[in-house]
Amino acid sequence: MRLARSIAVQADDETVPILAVERLSIALPKGADRAFAVEDASLELRRGEILCVVGESGSGKSALSGAIMGAPASGLKVVGGSVRLKGQELTKLSERAWCRIRGNRIAMIFQEPMASLNPAVPVGLQIMEVFELHAKLSVAERRERALALIRSMQLPDPERIAASFPHQLSGGQCQRVIIAMALAMNPEVLIADEPTTALDVTTQAQVLKLIRELRTLHGHTILFITHDFGVVAEIADRIAVMRHGRIIEMGEARQVLTQPQHPYTRELLAAVPSLVPPTDQGEVMAPAAKPVLAVTGLAKSYGRVHAVNEISFDLERGTTLSIVGESGCGKSSLARILVRLTAPTAGRVDVNGKCFLTLTGGELRSSCRAVQMIFQDPFGSLNPLRTAGAVIARAAVLAGADVRTARERAGELFDRVGLPREGLQRRPAAFSGGQKQRIGIARALAMNPDVLIADESLSALDASSQAQILALLRKLQNELGLAILLITHDLRVAAQISHRIAVMQAGRIVEIGPAGRVINSPEHPYTRELLESAPGRGLV
Amino acid sequence: MSTKHVWLKALARPTPAIGALLVGGWLVIALLSHALAPYDPFHSMVPLMTPGAHGPDGSVFWLGTDSLGRDVLSRLIYGARTVVVVATVATLTAYAVGISTGLLAGYFRGRVDIALSFFANVILSFPVLVLYIVIIVALGASAANVVLAVTFGSAPAIFRIVRAITIELRSRDFIAAAITQGESTWRILLVEILPNSSGPLIVDFCLRLGYSAITMGVLGFLGLGLPPPTPDWGGMVNEGRTLAFAFPHLVLFPCLAISSLVLGLSLLADGLRRPASRLGKAG
Amino acid sequence: MSAASDLSGGVSRWLLRKLFGMLLTMLAVSFLVFAVLELNVDDVAVKVLGQFSTADQRHAWLVQNGYTAPFLWRYLRWIGEFVTGHWGTSTYYREDVLTLIAPRLAASGLLAGAALLVIVPLGLVMGVIAGMREGSFVDRLVSVFAVVTTSIPEFASAVFLTSLFVFWLGWLPGVSTMADGFHLRELVLPVSVLTLYSAGYVARMTRSSMVEVMQSPYIRTARLKGNSMRRIIVRHALRNALITPVTVIMLQIPWLMSGVIVVEVFFAYQGFGTLLYQAALNTDIYLIEACTMISVVVVVLTQVASDLLYTWLNPRMSIRTARTAAGAK
Repeated sequence: MRLARSIAVQADDETVPILAVERLSIALPKGADRAFAVEDASLELRRGEILCVVGESGSGKSALSGAIMGAPASGLKVVGGSVRLKGQELTKLSERAWCRIRGNRIAMIFQEPMASLNPAVPVGLQIMEVFELHAKLSVAERRERALALIRSMQLPDPERIAASFPHQLSGGQCQRVIIAMALAMNPEVLIADEPTTALDVTTQAQVLKLIRELRTLHGHTILFITHDFGVVAEIADRIAVMRHGRIIEMGEARQVLTQPQHPYTRELLAAVPSLVPPTDQGEVMAPAAKPVLAVTGLAKSYGRVHAVNEISFDLERGTTLSIVGESGCGKSSLARILVRLTAPTAGRVDVNGKCFLTLTGGELRSSCRAVQMIFQDPFGSLNPLRTAGAVIARAAVLAGADVRTARERAGELFDRVGLPREGLQRRPAAFSGGQKQRIGIARALAMNPDVLIADESLSALDASSQAQILALLRKLQNELGLAILLITHDLRVAAQISHRIAVMQAGRIVEIGPAGRVINSPEHPYTRELLESAPGRGLV
Repeated sequence: MSTKHVWLKALARPTPAIGALLVGGWLVIALLSHALAPYDPFHSMVPLMTPGAHGPDGSVFWLGTDSLGRDVLSRLIYGARTVVVVATVATLTAYAVGISTGLLAGYFRGRVDIALSFFANVILSFPVLVLYIVIIVALGASAANVVLAVTFGSAPAIFRIVRAITIELRSRDFIAAAITQGESTWRILLVEILPNSSGPLIVDFCLRLGYSAITMGVLGFLGLGLPPPTPDWGGMVNEGRTLAFAFPHLVLFPCLAISSLVLGLSLLADGLRRPASRLGKAG
Repeated sequence: MSAASDLSGGVSRWLLRKLFGMLLTMLAVSFLVFAVLELNVDDVAVKVLGQFSTADQRHAWLVQNGYTAPFLWRYLRWIGEFVTGHWGTSTYYREDVLTLIAPRLAASGLLAGAALLVIVPLGLVMGVIAGMREGSFVDRLVSVFAVVTTSIPEFASAVFLTSLFVFWLGWLPGVSTMADGFHLRELVLPVSVLTLYSAGYVARMTRSSMVEVMQSPYIRTARLKGNSMRRIIVRHALRNALITPVTVIMLQIPWLMSGVIVVEVFFAYQGFGTLLYQAALNTDIYLIEACTMISVVVVVLTQVASDLLYTWLNPRMSIRTARTAAGAK
């Protein structure tokens, strides 16, 4: 310990980085799709900077952070290289020595804030525990310091927060508690592993602002791990791009963002949807004679809660309407009502001029094909035991085809959504998330729908497959004249594909209009807040 | 990647292999009892001979004879047939009832669910053995009534499992997709939901087959099972109990038999748990 | 404040609903038991008067005891008498059922209590140690032990233990009649048999709960805060991992009752189980009815207790939430 301190003091000049990772390699268990989670990775973290490590899922960025904390996920093993904290080698430390570093000199914040707090202990005690582990303080002092930390996180009523259990707080509040916990001992390095991914856009913006302040106001050194180049653009001083376990590009933020060297970095940057609507589809085309989908005064309440409140809109053939809102605003309830999965409390839905919700029997069977949905979770939306071909062919049969033509149709649809025909015989487990969404689209198309509802269908995907699916939807719309209702939390995605955008808050549509108008001159304050919260507005 | 391969691999590990061996062994014995048993299980010869003793005509009784002079080994072998047949029929009946009610309750929820769940709760409020005793006292001891008792005792538990799985699967998007495409309810239940619940059910089936065997054993031990002279392991223990101090072979062998069969089923269930949990899980 | 009182209102409503459900279940059970045992009055007469009674005798008895009344009316009368403690006279023992059952129930309570005292600590400790490190040697050992012991029916393990400790080693008595007063020695084998069957089950439950907790994100947080492994287990894992098993132990009590019946019969222990067993053998119908109802009451009470315990232990459930929220205000 004493030795470590003296090294630390020696190294305490500006030239030595606070954290130095050198040629680090982490092996995956045998039988994985590649040998190393992280291969030959080197990076330096300088005092008072935010270094963003960016990569898509499976790039090895979380394995890297686990190794820096001396706690690789089970099955992973550091096989080479070094990690030095102010000159002190970390990879060879004993577990006991690690216990004195974790939470004290290096601290971490996590992706799922609520699940990362012990559900059975009030959060105040969980913060106090850090002092119990790393400082010699009386209980009263610990309590005092914990309350001060909570206060500094801009949380209201610190006493009440401290006495609360995690489930009594919101996700954003939990994340602030975790940040408070991480900062308790004023660590030399703070590692943030996708800390805003699970949060709503406006909460994300607030937490990002807080993290930025930690650096600018308090000089904290932060390693920030994310998949979202928008977030990177918001906070990074320097950027390291990871792919397949290797760091392929590293440099100053502005340089990487504006003059990316590596083709993969360029690809990732291009995949970030921009808030500027593409010029070719900014305004609504000539209004069609009759909307395919007309929603009037739709409402759904659960007891006293109004999930959907007085919603009305029309959707014309060949156009896209996006419904944008944060979690809990009622946008998914709306989608489920439109495909008849939930019954509304009031209002009507007309499809091709017929009242859709009151249909029964044969008439329903012939009409339900008109409105089809693509779901959010690519894992849950396909029966794991049935082959892709069988799923699509069955949909075609339900739409009225006989078995032989249905099978041919499945093949055609596979071509249409850009999947190789060999995949028809495979089960969902053999496909990636983006491919599963393509199967979901093919299944919906097999019914010959007039309206396609995409409920957060892109949110579970990496940026590059998100961009590809968006392009596919646009292509299908042009070819088939589909009307698309896109439900999303992401204004950037909405801007890319919509003719019109509706913003939803607390069950109501607060603003609806042509995409360009809503984004360039929003009228409602909530729309403005959403726009300001969208990460990466600085990206060109 | 193929499913069969996964199951075979699971069985290749030591504990499930032992389980499969035990269960397979008893199945063969049950199938071939008539060929394997050295004597007629009902025929009285010299009473209370110790294991390995020779009869007056020089024949060997490897596991001895009981108080009525019947060959213990032969009764044990025919007892395997009894337990395999009755326990399997009883478990399958319980499954038929449990699966159909569980699917309906879990899928439709509402009043159907409330009524069925209440009924299941009422049955589960009996300690199982008390339930069996009441049923047997009211209806009398016979193979059919043992099947009935086991069905009553097991179906509510199966119902609960199937209902829980159905509720979980019901909330998945692939069911929502089937509904929006106008798929019929029957097809959703039988093609989309049931196959996806088969993983946990296969494991549970092995365990429950073991419970049914135990139930038969316990009822036989209490003298409430299959009426004598049917060769039945529990019944053999019951008959031999008073003489056990002098002739422990009368009770030890049937107890070993039932324990090894149930142990085999449990080990098998344990080994199948891993491949079964992968069945029906996406990704 | 208002939110807190809302919640505590929710708690009392929840409790009321539980109690109402319990009452409804009891009614349904009693109806079922009565229907199964007394729907056919001629059967009842045979059971009470014996197989060798004449048809005239039976008819006279039925008239005399009000069995000519319609079934539903007889049920209402029966349930009324049952609630007021008039449980009839045992046809075999010729004694009032209530006075017959009371001491037997106490004896069984003693046996079950002693067994629980061994089962619970043993099962929990084994489960926690096994679940701490999934896949370790200890884990596999405990798992194999649990599979083996839960596979052996009670009467079989009773035979094995008796053969070993009574017939062969001669260390322990083979019967537990307690004929000349209470002897702890006579309790050893019955308790061991019950323990063997149930401890493995509790250990398994605890293990899987522990394994699940050890994989949860908040355990990772605790580790990355600088907690040692020991502290993680004691301060963060145990508390959450024991919620499920403690509830499961309560639900294990009905199983224990089944086991108690077998064990009592095997060791001739004069408890509730042997009484029910004798009643069954002698078709002592009123005694069977009373014993059944009592066992069901015990099961239903433990279910409610288990629910309450779960709510109390789990901070995510309402009772606790209401209290702390109110305290924080």
